[in-house]
Amino acid sequence: MSMSCDQSASQRWLKGALAALPLSIAVIPWGILAGSLALDAGLNPFESQAMSAVVFAGAAQLVAVGMIKAGVGLGSILITTLLITSRHFLYSMAMRPNISPLPFKWRVTLGFLLTDELFAIIAGGKKPKETSQTLDRWYALGVGLSFYIVWNIATLAGILVGSHIPNLDSWGLDFAIAATFIAIVTPQINRPSILICVLVSLVASVVCELFQIPSGLLIASLLGMTVGTLYAKATGETQ
Amino acid sequence: MITLTICLMACIIFLSRYGFLEPRLPITLNASTLRFLSYSAPAVLTAIWGPIVFVSEEGLNIHWSNQYLLCAAFATVLAVTTRNTLLTTILSMVLFFGLRFWQM
Repeated sequence: MSMSCDQSASQRWLKGALAALPLSIAVIPWGILAGSLALDAGLNPFESQAMSAVVFAGAAQLVAVGMIKAGVGLGSILITTLLITSRHFLYSMAMRPNISPLPFKWRVTLGFLLTDELFAIIAGGKKPKETSQTLDRWYALGVGLSFYIVWNIATLAGILVGSHIPNLDSWGLDFAIAATFIAIVTPQINRPSILICVLVSLVASVVCELFQIPSGLLIASLLGMTVGTLYAKATGETQ
Repeated sequence: MITLTICLMACIIFLSRYGFLEPRLPITLNASTLRFLSYSAPAVLTAIWGPIVFVSEEGLNIHWSNQYLLCAAFATVLAVTTRNTLLTTILSMVLFFGLRFWQM
């Protein structure tokens, strides 16, 4: 590989890391929480770090650690993990046209890193007509890997000093997630069916949250996607 | 036991993320499936930000005193007018944390 090619790869990596920065900042308190709660649940520091390094799934980690602390059996933990993680089936299916043609090491790496955040940025940046466009792999790696690194450093911080940081969850850092996702989704609303999909997902997700329905995220997403698709079909809307 | 839990969780999560990326998996996504999936990003992302903005600890919070809602509305207006993702994110975060800091 030539020098200039290397350079542009690292520039694309940095561009991806920059795009992920608001989400990386937003995830810091959750990483700290994941580390300190794991210790609190009786995992040793090595196991607590391994959760973030190997499992690398915020919501599933936090829930599993809570269940371990409560003495819940392995079977229940795994079923809950499957429910929480089921939305990733949707992401990998949506990214199949872009990622499955890549070489093995890229597929496995991007697959391992395919979090809500990576999906948000690479799928959110896609134009509606470009479903089979070739993905900028270095940019995607920049998003995914920088996020992974921040998540693991935050977990380490949580293991080391987590119990000394007061009121971490009252800082409102989750607004960064909302701000980023609104900024990504809003420009995508260029057809009535997408507007309807977004409104249905919005109402359904809020209702699911209020009634604490498990897998509310997945239910609300599928509902929005279904209604959006049906509306487009019924009105003969072109993409 | 904890090592086993971590390993099995890692397997389940990796398979859910990687599964459909495997080219040898004998499925081809037809046009209508791809069309359905083209709604996944706006749907999933909205389903994530919706509860953050509209639900607080007390329940549904549709009032301008809800800083999440106020700043989300600001972000939406910015996104519509500027169409710039990074600018929208940064300015609405500045407003949000500015308001929080102001009230401390």
